[in-house]
Amino acid sequence: MKNKQLKTKPSSAAPYSKAHEKYLKRLRNDKIFVLSFQILILVLIIGLWELLAATNVIDPFFVSSPSRVFNMFISMVENGTIWRHIGITLLETLVGFAIATLGGTLIAILLWWNKRLRRILEPYIVVLNSLPKIALGPIIILWVGSGMSAIITMCVLICIVLTTISMLNAFNSCDADKIQLMKSMHANKFQIFWKLILPNATSEFISVLKINVGMSWVGTIMGEYLSSSAGLGYLIVYGSQIFNINLVMTSTVLLCILAALMYLAICLIEKWHSR
Amino acid sequence: MSTLLEFKDVNFFYQTKDAEIHALKDLNFTVDKESFASIVGPSGCGKTTILSLIAGLLKKSSGQILLNGKEIDENDSRIGYMFQRDHLFEWRNIWQNVTLGIELTKPKDADKKKEFAKSLLKKYDLYDFISSKPRALSGGMRQRVALIRTLVMEPTLLLLDEPFSALDFQTRLRVCDDVYEIIKSEKKTAVLVTHDISEAISMSNKVIVLSSRPATVKHVQMLNLNGETPLSRREDPTFGSLFDLIWKKLTNEKQTTEN
Repeated sequence: MKNKQLKTKPSSAAPYSKAHEKYLKRLRNDKIFVLSFQILILVLIIGLWELLAATNVIDPFFVSSPSRVFNMFISMVENGTIWRHIGITLLETLVGFAIATLGGTLIAILLWWNKRLRRILEPYIVVLNSLPKIALGPIIILWVGSGMSAIITMCVLICIVLTTISMLNAFNSCDADKIQLMKSMHANKFQIFWKLILPNATSEFISVLKINVGMSWVGTIMGEYLSSSAGLGYLIVYGSQIFNINLVMTSTVLLCILAALMYLAICLIEKWHSR
Repeated sequence: MSTLLEFKDVNFFYQTKDAEIHALKDLNFTVDKESFASIVGPSGCGKTTILSLIAGLLKKSSGQILLNGKEIDENDSRIGYMFQRDHLFEWRNIWQNVTLGIELTKPKDADKKKEFAKSLLKKYDLYDFISSKPRALSGGMRQRVALIRTLVMEPTLLLLDEPFSALDFQTRLRVCDDVYEIIKSEKKTAVLVTHDISEAISMSNKVIVLSSRPATVKHVQMLNLNGETPLSRREDPTFGSLFDLIWKKLTNEKQTTEN
């Protein structure tokens, strides 16, 4: 019997009453209220920033202003340079994010599969996790060379240990009775992993994705600070070296927008998963 | 009635860092075909260990565990196990949960078993929910789904490890009746492990009282109460005296343990 052929019982919910409509309206109003305040805060920050800069209360040479940031962005769009920098940083972040998430999960699977290996490697993982990865910067450049490979390596190093630890915890937190249930139904180790351990860890995996979004941007920008000739991190360093605060601020704002979009994409995946 | 399950001088030891623990000592008991046996005993005496041995999840240290006269092995498909909680997988719908065993073992008669699953779901008013996720079901419905998941594999023997302990009292009484009815109408043999003496008496033909660790069979009480359902059996005039008898056996045991 194919599952698609099976039908669900129609919802037994009562038709909307006035009280229910009132409740829904209250929920809607609450949502609008929160969203309005979120937008208001942003408008206030931008407005205040522009006003203080325009009236020279704060020096635009050091803090720039929204209009200058906007003009800088437009000029970079017009000469086409911005797309190259955004593209490179985005590529480095996405590649680093993907390698770290998949690699960290695969290592976690390996360590779940082999308890002895986990016990052997545990102290090394703990040390790697507590190590400030920026300290490895010079070694990374020596080993993998400068440029994109070094940046991606930095990004991977920052995310991979955390991914491994989080996913391993998620795998190990599976209810022992559920594993016994699978064993009582004669499931082999692969089936236990594939049909129980892995799907059971999906929520944790989404949390890891959310954390990795932030961490991969940190890793990429850190890597670009160390060694790069293009990218938003490079623009920030270059802008600060030539005292072009408008360039620094424009790149930073773009970073905020890109990180938020990536986080939003993960939230959409989460929403789709929880349906 | 012929014997389905037989424990012959079964011993079980398990190892801890501090010592070797003798959990079961020369355990002997039988369970007849299509009967309902309950095992009661002090906490930690090894009741669940007995079920794990029958299910092949643990290996006995010595003795024999026979099912239909044949030694049980770890891949014995004649045994179905129902745990304390329903353990339905929340990411699978009811149909996917119920057919999990078929998916895992891929039996030759998979289609027949799926049809059987369908008929059980229809019979016990769960068919309308097959595309729903377990969270949409009540506690009692979830336990029925868990039982059907076990029955789908058509086991000869059903092991029930305190399957009602996670339910509130009212639901527990109702689900007890449901589960009992399903087991009886499907002509299954069941072994129930429980802390609840009333539950054991109301559901069983036989109550096996265990001693504290190392567990041995301290007393076997055969039962023949009037009533079609566990709830109605509680109204049998002998119910109270049977409860007292088993309670005394258990409390003596507890006192012995405490002394």
